[in-house]
Amino acid sequence: MSCPEPYRSIYSDRGRPPTVVTVTTNTPHAVSLTSATKHFGPVRAVDGLTLAIPRGQTVALLGPNGAGKSTTIALLLGLLAPDSGRAVLFGLAPEQAVRRGLVGAMPQEGGLVPRVTVRELLAFVAGTYAAPLPLDQVLALARIGDLRDRRVDRLSGGQAQRVRFATAVCGDPVLIVLDEPTAALDVEARREFWDGMRGLASRGKTILFSTHYLEEADEHADRVVVLGHGRVVADGTSAEIKRAAALTTVSVTADGESAWLAALPGVRHMEIRGGRVHLRSADSDATVMALARAGAVRELEVVPADLEDAFVALTAKENA
Amino acid sequence: MWGYVRLELIRSTRDGGYVIFGIVMPVVMYLVFTNLGLAPGDRHDAAIYTMVSMAAYGALGGAFNNGSGIAEDRAAGWLRRLRLTPLTPAQVVAGKVVTGIVGVVPSIAAVLLAGVLVNHVTLAPQRWLAIVVLLWAGTVPFSLLGLGNGYRLSGQSAAMANIATMLTLAVLGGLWVPIANFPSWLRAVAEWIPSNSYAGLSWRVAFGDVPTVRQVATLSAWLLAFGVYAVHGYRRAGRRA
Repeated sequence: MSCPEPYRSIYSDRGRPPTVVTVTTNTPHAVSLTSATKHFGPVRAVDGLTLAIPRGQTVALLGPNGAGKSTTIALLLGLLAPDSGRAVLFGLAPEQAVRRGLVGAMPQEGGLVPRVTVRELLAFVAGTYAAPLPLDQVLALARIGDLRDRRVDRLSGGQAQRVRFATAVCGDPVLIVLDEPTAALDVEARREFWDGMRGLASRGKTILFSTHYLEEADEHADRVVVLGHGRVVADGTSAEIKRAAALTTVSVTADGESAWLAALPGVRHMEIRGGRVHLRSADSDATVMALARAGAVRELEVVPADLEDAFVALTAKENA
Repeated sequence: MWGYVRLELIRSTRDGGYVIFGIVMPVVMYLVFTNLGLAPGDRHDAAIYTMVSMAAYGALGGAFNNGSGIAEDRAAGWLRRLRLTPLTPAQVVAGKVVTGIVGVVPSIAAVLLAGVLVNHVTLAPQRWLAIVVLLWAGTVPFSLLGLGNGYRLSGQSAAMANIATMLTLAVLGGLWVPIANFPSWLRAVAEWIPSNSYAGLSWRVAFGDVPTVRQVATLSAWLLAFGVYAVHGYRRAGRRA
């Protein structure tokens, strides 16, 4: 735990502020967690986490299992009380925001009650909100029109997930929180799910979803917040995170003494395997230019990072 | 909250356990028992006595089934899901209690109707009214006991505990076999059993008496005890849900 301010290590060379998103309005954030901490016995599930989400953003909470995603969501929904720190939604305590119908949520599992039809369930949940969406619109949004008279305890996994999603959005809340909405779905069911989601983001909702699928965060979120060990280890657009953390790999063939390569501009990490030198670089252009100047370009190979690399790099850094 | 009650009642009608234990079995047992002549007195008296017993038995089934539903709901993540709707926890609990109170009505009505239509039971209107009210209101302690089990125990064990409790109360309370037929030591025990006090109120009224102070006091004491148990169970469940 040598880097208590994780963003600093990522952005320091660029002089970036720690949070990429800046807000210029006076209205309270949709979501605001301030130094939130939650222990379960000796385990610090959430460890001094601070996160602010302005209205209208779609944010992915990305992290491996055990990173604290679900606990973070439970804290901001008021399902758990933080040991210290604060959770605020729209300037209100989470329970109050939920009572006022500002929030629609889909917990990670469960929440479909047996012996009711899809239509009965949605009519009930919608009826608890002051100004719900019309049922037909919800069915279309979640792509479950053909399931309306089916019993919810007799649905396939993908169908059940879309119904659970429908219960989160049917009240027309301004903040929608989805905890691992596509966990345990096959590829086809995941695609169908995100097709439904796309309609929502275009309606100006604030959406927070957690996932451990990198490509989902990449494709569906404006902003990616990477969690590791209950802390924010990176926060930005997926492009920024890739650039900042997942270093491009520049490889050359080298013979003789090659330790000096580690001191080239942009190089953060060097590895020598079978005569090949692999340089992990934060600025691959500068690294390649320097290699060229030194006459060391032999069988040059430049492989850009994907979000997977970024993710591994970021969370590994936390472990170090 | 009424939307919640409506949803829960829809669920009850599709619940085989509720329909069988709460409605079908009591009616069937009523018709069988009255035709075997197990109850004291002449045929009409027996039809009245057993009608009250079986209506009480059915109401017990409905009340406990509602409590088992709570454990099932918790296991399904439904209680947690409800916390993420604008309903307040108080509305959810009140909704469940109202569901339990409304849910015992068909159990009582089915047996009383069988009494009138099949066994030709006749009673003065004010006695009918008193029996209905006593049978209905008297289920509250049992609803609370069932809810307490539902909050404290997990899905399967809550259902088992509730069915076991319900059957024990039915047998020991003299709902199946009148306690007059019990050995004297068992009869002494039965008089302290809440189900005996509960049905006893209506047995007395049906035959033109007023309920005894002891019946009212016993049932009230159990009401208090089960109320404390249910509230304690709810608080514990609230910390875990």
